[in-house]
Amino acid sequence: CGNRGGDGFLANFWGSKAEAPLETFGPEEIYKRAEFQLEDGDIDEAVRLFGEVERLYPYSEWAKRALIMQAFSYHADRDYENSRASAQRFLDFYPADEDAAYAQYLLAISYYDQIDQVGRDQGLTFQALQALRTVIERYPESEYAKSSILKFDLAFDHLASKEMEIGRYYLKRGHYASAINRFRVVVEEFQTTTHTAEALHRLVESYLSLGLTDEAQTAGAILGHNFQSTGFYQDSYNLLQGRGLEPEAAGKGWLQDIYRQVIRGKWL
Amino acid sequence: AVSSAVPLTPAFAQSFPISSIQIDGNQRIEDATILSYLRLERGKSATAGELNDAIQRLQRSGLFETVDVVPVGNRLVVTVTEYPTINRVNIEGNKRLKDADLIPLLKSQSRRVYSPATAEADAALLAEGYSQAGRIAATVTPRIIPRSNNRVDLVFEVAEGDVVEVERISFIGNRAYSDRRLRRVIESKQAGFLRSIIQSDTFVGDRIAFDRQLLRDFYLSRGYVDFQVLSSTPELTRQRDGYFVSFKVREGQQFKVGRVTTYSDLPEIDADEYHKVARLKDGEVYSPAKIENTITRMERLALRQGLNFVRVEPRITRNDADVTLDVEFALIRGPRVFVERIDIEGNATTLDRVVRRQFNTVEGDPFNPREIRDAAERIRALGYFSTADVNTRQGSGPEQVVVDVDVEETTTGSLGFGVSYGADAGASLSVNFKERNFLGRGQTLSFSFDTGSDNKNTSVDFIEPSFLGRDLSLGLNAYYRTTDSQYADYDTQNVGFEPSIEFPVSENGRLRLSYRISKDSIKNVNATTSNIIRRDESSAFTSALGVLYSYDTRRTGLNPNGGVLLRFGQQIAGVGGGLKYLQTTGLVSAETRVAREEVTLRAQFEFGANTRLTGNSRITERFFLGSSKLRGFDGAGVGPRDLTSANQDALGGNYFAVARLEADFPLGLPEEYGIRGGVFFDVGSLWGLDDTNTGTNAVPGAAVDDGFKIRSVIGVSLLWDTQIGPLRFNFSKALVKEDYDKERSFDLTVSTKF
Amino acid sequence: CSEIIRNHGYIPIEEDLQSLTVGVDTRGTVEELVGKPSSSGVLRGGDWFYVGSKMRHYAYKKPQEIDRQVVALRFSDDDVLQNVERFGLEDGRVVTLSRRVTETTVRDVTFIRQIIRNFGRIDLGEALGD
Repeated sequence: CGNRGGDGFLANFWGSKAEAPLETFGPEEIYKRAEFQLEDGDIDEAVRLFGEVERLYPYSEWAKRALIMQAFSYHADRDYENSRASAQRFLDFYPADEDAAYAQYLLAISYYDQIDQVGRDQGLTFQALQALRTVIERYPESEYAKSSILKFDLAFDHLASKEMEIGRYYLKRGHYASAINRFRVVVEEFQTTTHTAEALHRLVESYLSLGLTDEAQTAGAILGHNFQSTGFYQDSYNLLQGRGLEPEAAGKGWLQDIYRQVIRGKWL
Repeated sequence: AVSSAVPLTPAFAQSFPISSIQIDGNQRIEDATILSYLRLERGKSATAGELNDAIQRLQRSGLFETVDVVPVGNRLVVTVTEYPTINRVNIEGNKRLKDADLIPLLKSQSRRVYSPATAEADAALLAEGYSQAGRIAATVTPRIIPRSNNRVDLVFEVAEGDVVEVERISFIGNRAYSDRRLRRVIESKQAGFLRSIIQSDTFVGDRIAFDRQLLRDFYLSRGYVDFQVLSSTPELTRQRDGYFVSFKVREGQQFKVGRVTTYSDLPEIDADEYHKVARLKDGEVYSPAKIENTITRMERLALRQGLNFVRVEPRITRNDADVTLDVEFALIRGPRVFVERIDIEGNATTLDRVVRRQFNTVEGDPFNPREIRDAAERIRALGYFSTADVNTRQGSGPEQVVVDVDVEETTTGSLGFGVSYGADAGASLSVNFKERNFLGRGQTLSFSFDTGSDNKNTSVDFIEPSFLGRDLSLGLNAYYRTTDSQYADYDTQNVGFEPSIEFPVSENGRLRLSYRISKDSIKNVNATTSNIIRRDESSAFTSALGVLYSYDTRRTGLNPNGGVLLRFGQQIAGVGGGLKYLQTTGLVSAETRVAREEVTLRAQFEFGANTRLTGNSRITERFFLGSSKLRGFDGAGVGPRDLTSANQDALGGNYFAVARLEADFPLGLPEEYGIRGGVFFDVGSLWGLDDTNTGTNAVPGAAVDDGFKIRSVIGVSLLWDTQIGPLRFNFSKALVKEDYDKERSFDLTVSTKF
Repeated sequence: CSEIIRNHGYIPIEEDLQSLTVGVDTRGTVEELVGKPSSSGVLRGGDWFYVGSKMRHYAYKKPQEIDRQVVALRFSDDDVLQNVERFGLEDGRVVTLSRRVTETTVRDVTFIRQIIRNFGRIDLGEALGD
């Protein structure tokens, strides 16, 4: 590193953060500068400085805090890949540290925040669920466990809505056996989610379409027993009694159907 | 990592009371971390075994160089020395391979723990990288430079050595094909005078293995069923800078096809019907590719007949006496396997149903590999994904299969802004937006809007491919176009709206019905323009019904390597509106891949006829042969022309017919460049006018020659597959043309695979 | 125009069905003889159903189910086959599906966000449009 001299002068003159002056600062100053950059919104610079703290003073207390701050900054910058990498490195080095819960939490929500609309990628949802489950199981009493449980339920609900969406796809096209299997998965493995009521109603619809009336009755009974107040129970009740559907559940004519499906992308 | 075992006195080896644990020697790693690895509780006694496990766990953590656990009285003293952390990693002495490519591969990274074992592994990795690049003599040694507070710099010193090349390649035992022919088959090349540049002459172990495979495929596909590469021994030259490679082969006999039979014990299968599909004739040279082709055709036929669990098994019997192979295609009942689930992942913006509706198979249906492969093809053809791989894995039971669809989305839209300022026309803004996967619903939405520029083209286009969830495509197109075309001195203005629907009518056939209502007008025709066009200066309503039938077997047809595309369309104008004419267009295209599927041959014939029901045809209805139809000429470079008028305007023609023969082939360049060559021969003509009087109604002038005149063009082209799309550079030369035609010898277009 | 017929689901062939004996066969033996069911009842240990249907696709019309066979295998509480029932297309009821959907918390990709994502990319077709 022969050019240290010239670099130094240039760096100060232009105020860029060249290598030389960092060596002279203690870990605390660099850490403070990084925090300042973070508040200032220059996240990339903050991340670089946190990395420098860890590289120059790997054994200091500051290195540990810099590592977790690095993970946090990456996450704030929506750079989920690096946020996960830094959080994982923190967990490798300081598994028993009290910030380890936060690192694990950061790891989990970096997956969670990438989850998109229900019609979309379910691969991410699985990873989010696993990461959130580790937070809940390994650090049950940390303050992150509570919000992880909440996020876990939301991700779990998101998975259920994906199964429902595929079930409706097959139901609408008249493939009743496939639809039944998807709705049964929701009823059996996703009871705690908000979709169970609808799944039971779709089962009533599918069994009736196949002519298996007593199966439809059983599904209707379970729906009535557990979800008496939902609109779905109302629909099932009407179906089983052979009456028409409620206004907000029934279609309003083919023109409105076209508008709903083509323009608004609804399923029916 | 050296560790000293617990200094146990054998007498009372059983257990140690631990009232407290003292940890020293750790700097970066905290006591709590070490305790969490030890898993020994204070106040409980630990046996020798437990202590030993504790040591193992500490070592396996990979954080410590040495670990000592010594019980002193009832206190446990744990002394550790940590591995230093790496401050910086760099590589010196590497000229051929760049740092940037090598450092990410290494396991030792800056800020990570340094461990001699990983450093050795990285050194070996670098050496392997060099031997892959042909520098077998390269050596890599890791070295450590200690830094302040237990940090180290890790340096890999590389001695590259020079490239070892293949001096000579020779073959022993080859009677049927000469050494020169076989050298063209394998990938390694002899070092010629361009030795320093060409990569493929450097000696690389894996490439020799790959060459053996190439030789086997070459001989197998020519009927040498018993071909074997006995040995491919590389010998080092005396000066140790080059290799002699010699392949010892045993060719065996060339086998021809004996009797070809098709047999099936399944009641629902008629063997002769399947036999007709076989592409293997008695007496032909045997080749595995033909067997595979026939199996594909038979499986597709079974799929078309809706039969489940049918598997085609080729049973080959050798008769060495007359050197033939009898091939029997047995259609047997395959295993009873069902598709349990179809899981789609990676679709960040595309809706699940857009991908799922490409599958004809539904969850719970019998598993048909051919059907799944066709669906994968359709998903790729959507054009929304850079990669779309469909593979199957074991489901919840032996008879259940789960189909996994992993897609990776690519950009499917474009948004362009253009602001231009003309001295006279003033400022003008042009916006064009096109999205082929609008909101992930598979719909296409595009609109372009520009003000002020001479060729104003404002249009909105919307396509919903699966209207109301059915295989029914709805298209809506509204446009407002004015052209001040540089080929002629008049302006046209068209405003129109064209809804259309398209749906399947048979396995490979689709029908498109459309209705167009438009107002077409020709304006400010200047004085020098031909009188024929001047008489068209008016605006008129067109209200036309359109029907277009297309039949495409390229993807779903029986022949995997080729197919036919047929398009026949008619537009009947006169359902209301002023203009009354019938316009018929047609296209027949056949393509096939030959020479081990590397060369594509394509023959196309296109024609059009515009027959007027009343009055004369207007220039806006007549056909013009663009360079996409007949290469080698300008936009309206071909066709009847009013030679008496000052600027000799092209008048278009009521009839056109063009034939295009083309072939494209690899140029031998490596695959990743994506460059192929092509040759083409176009021949065709544009003719026929209703009104050929060049003078005015009062004073008739000479008649325009609107007869049938052949034009033909020969040319070569370069096909280049770039990120922004498949480009095609055409270089052409007209063989036969009229003297007034306008040639264009070079043209850059998007090579459309319609 | 010709119609396209597509078969879905799976009905065991007649001989296999005849080989089932009510009162004797259990779920295990049934599965060997006839194979796993396409779907089953909502309760754990419910009855088994085999559904085979023929869909007719004709031009722009909505695909229509022209034939459906349902084989229902009823099991007693101790998993012994009690009854084999058959249903055809005519037994099914035409059900109007409820439009109601359970809303989810996840937001939609908005039109604006999709536009921004395409900013500045050129579409080759237009650029070189002939």
